[in-house]
Amino acid sequence: MIEIIRSLLLKLLWLYQKFFTLIGFGSCRYYPSCSEFARINFENNSLSSAFYHSLTRILRCNQLFDGGIEYPLLDKLSCKPTKLGMESIKYWLVPSKNNRFHIIKNYSYKG
Amino acid sequence: MTPNQRLLVAVALSVIFFATYTAIFPPVQPEVTDAPKSQTVELNKNNTQASFDDKVIDAVVGHEIAQEEAVKVSASNDILIIRSKDFILKMDTLGRISSKELLQEKFNDQDGKHAQLIPAFAAKPLFLRFVDQDINKEASTVAYTSSVKEIDLGTQPQKVTLTQKLSHLTVTKELTFYEDGHYDAVVSLSDNQRYFIYLGQRPEITEQMMTVSGAMVYTDDELVTIIEDGDAEGRKGFTGVELISAFDQYAATIMYGFSKDTNIIVERDREDNPVVYFDALQTMKFNGYVGQKEYKVLKNIKPVLTNAIEYGWFTFASQPLFQFLSWLHGILGNWGWSIVALTFVVRIILYPLTYKGMMSMQKIKKISPQIKELQAKHKGDPQRMNKAVMDMYKKHNANPLGGCLPMLMQIPVFFAIYRVLLNAVELQGAEWILWIDDLSRMDNFYVLPILMGVSMYYQQKLTPSNFTDPMQEKVFKFLPVIFTFFFITFPSGLVLYWFVNNLFSIGQQFIVNAQFKNAEDAEAALARTKKSDKKVSEKSDD
Repeated sequence: MIEIIRSLLLKLLWLYQKFFTLIGFGSCRYYPSCSEFARINFENNSLSSAFYHSLTRILRCNQLFDGGIEYPLLDKLSCKPTKLGMESIKYWLVPSKNNRFHIIKNYSYKG
Repeated sequence: MTPNQRLLVAVALSVIFFATYTAIFPPVQPEVTDAPKSQTVELNKNNTQASFDDKVIDAVVGHEIAQEEAVKVSASNDILIIRSKDFILKMDTLGRISSKELLQEKFNDQDGKHAQLIPAFAAKPLFLRFVDQDINKEASTVAYTSSVKEIDLGTQPQKVTLTQKLSHLTVTKELTFYEDGHYDAVVSLSDNQRYFIYLGQRPEITEQMMTVSGAMVYTDDELVTIIEDGDAEGRKGFTGVELISAFDQYAATIMYGFSKDTNIIVERDREDNPVVYFDALQTMKFNGYVGQKEYKVLKNIKPVLTNAIEYGWFTFASQPLFQFLSWLHGILGNWGWSIVALTFVVRIILYPLTYKGMMSMQKIKKISPQIKELQAKHKGDPQRMNKAVMDMYKKHNANPLGGCLPMLMQIPVFFAIYRVLLNAVELQGAEWILWIDDLSRMDNFYVLPILMGVSMYYQQKLTPSNFTDPMQEKVFKFLPVIFTFFFITFPSGLVLYWFVNNLFSIGQQFIVNAQFKNAEDAEAALARTKKSDKKVSEKSDD
């Protein structure tokens, strides 16, 4: 059930990123943008945590905050990749505080 | 894909988007003006239905009444005509309100005819149907008689008694009419029979697309149930009802003042449109209103009636907005200027946010060569480019982008305004300046939509944006064109709002530019004076 909701939300985000960003006029103050941030969160963290972090991010995305670079954080490390290579790694996990990790996109990731 | 192909795809997609949008909020069909034709259609329909429904006629199904009604429609004559300065109301031989014409010119339809609130071929207000089939049949053939033939309604309410003498039953309708369009009704039978009173079908004078029409039930727990045309299903019962209303964009047929245990029934007709009626007592007292949903009028009759003005599911935000707009109108005396003032107030509220953004936009101008350099360096890799640009913004402590929150917040605000301007009957016939003589209708000269498009284009040029996808950027540049076409048929009031909003935004940009330039000049001047001061002091040291 949770996985269905997750994939549904991810599809919605994909749809938003593809077609509806226009209403936002591409005006996000952050990198990665709020929608991207939410997408990575929903891909890697629990639903509740992803909801919370995406929401607070959107609330912070206004001119009273500085914006800039802010990577999503991984809550729990649980990846066991079968093969490794520059092109099959989707995200780099960079250790942060409290045993959490920054999730940073791998620009060379293909498919 | 080549950029051109992408552009085509993008435009096609936006068309699909608007098409689906219109599918979700379908345009209301224009009123059938070809009356004789629709009459035959109606009769045929009901004949076939009659053979179908003969068996289930005892069930409390609302639609078979239409059959007798439709037959009677040509035969029925008006037994009572009520004239007031604002309307002419007629009651027919079946004791129903058969016609209500509004005399104010501003309500005239596009052909210049008076607005007719009662559709010709549908269930009409105050129609009675008995559960006993024999009585029902007789009732459809025996004409009502009226105590008076004609009434000239002044400020004093006038009372009329309509009587129908059947072989075993006498039906009496005591109606008191008021100048503001409402009436009090007491319906009584000489014998206890189960019967129903009909609210009547909604007015059919809507011209605009994307408005809600159908039936509404407002219960004492402040719950609004709206059954839109085409969405009615099964049969629903309500008790503790404050008011029932069958409405289109601006007008409504309303009944209210029921006792708490009155059973209101909403059912569907052949087109899945709602039909509303209620289970009546031997002596049934209630009130009714047929007319435009004007806030002041409804409030003066009974405050609860203002709930009949609805703005779709967004009523909770639109209602206070209308109050505010109405208050502005009280001061300015013109709806057009009230809309301009409303826009101004919205801009003032957003000012702290937009101001900060515009200031940092100025700072960015200084480092724009460096940003261009970055963009050239990361050409073809928008992800990396965005990151580099963000880095640069951070370094210079300036971020010109508006942010997602203000953008998301604007959507409900705009939607609320949109619903208010679409549904407020007060805007009908409300003029502004020059050629705008009705804010509720489209601009016949297309000037306002085009001005809106041009101002939007200009504003876009002034606003920085940050697209990762070149296709999106192209569509974005096309938006003013799409919007212009989209807005062409919209009520002028709405286009006016959007246009003025763009203007204010452009104006604010210019003010900020000027301020920034002044500040810079002052800084430069200060620096110069400091320098010369230094020189002077050095010299004096010598």
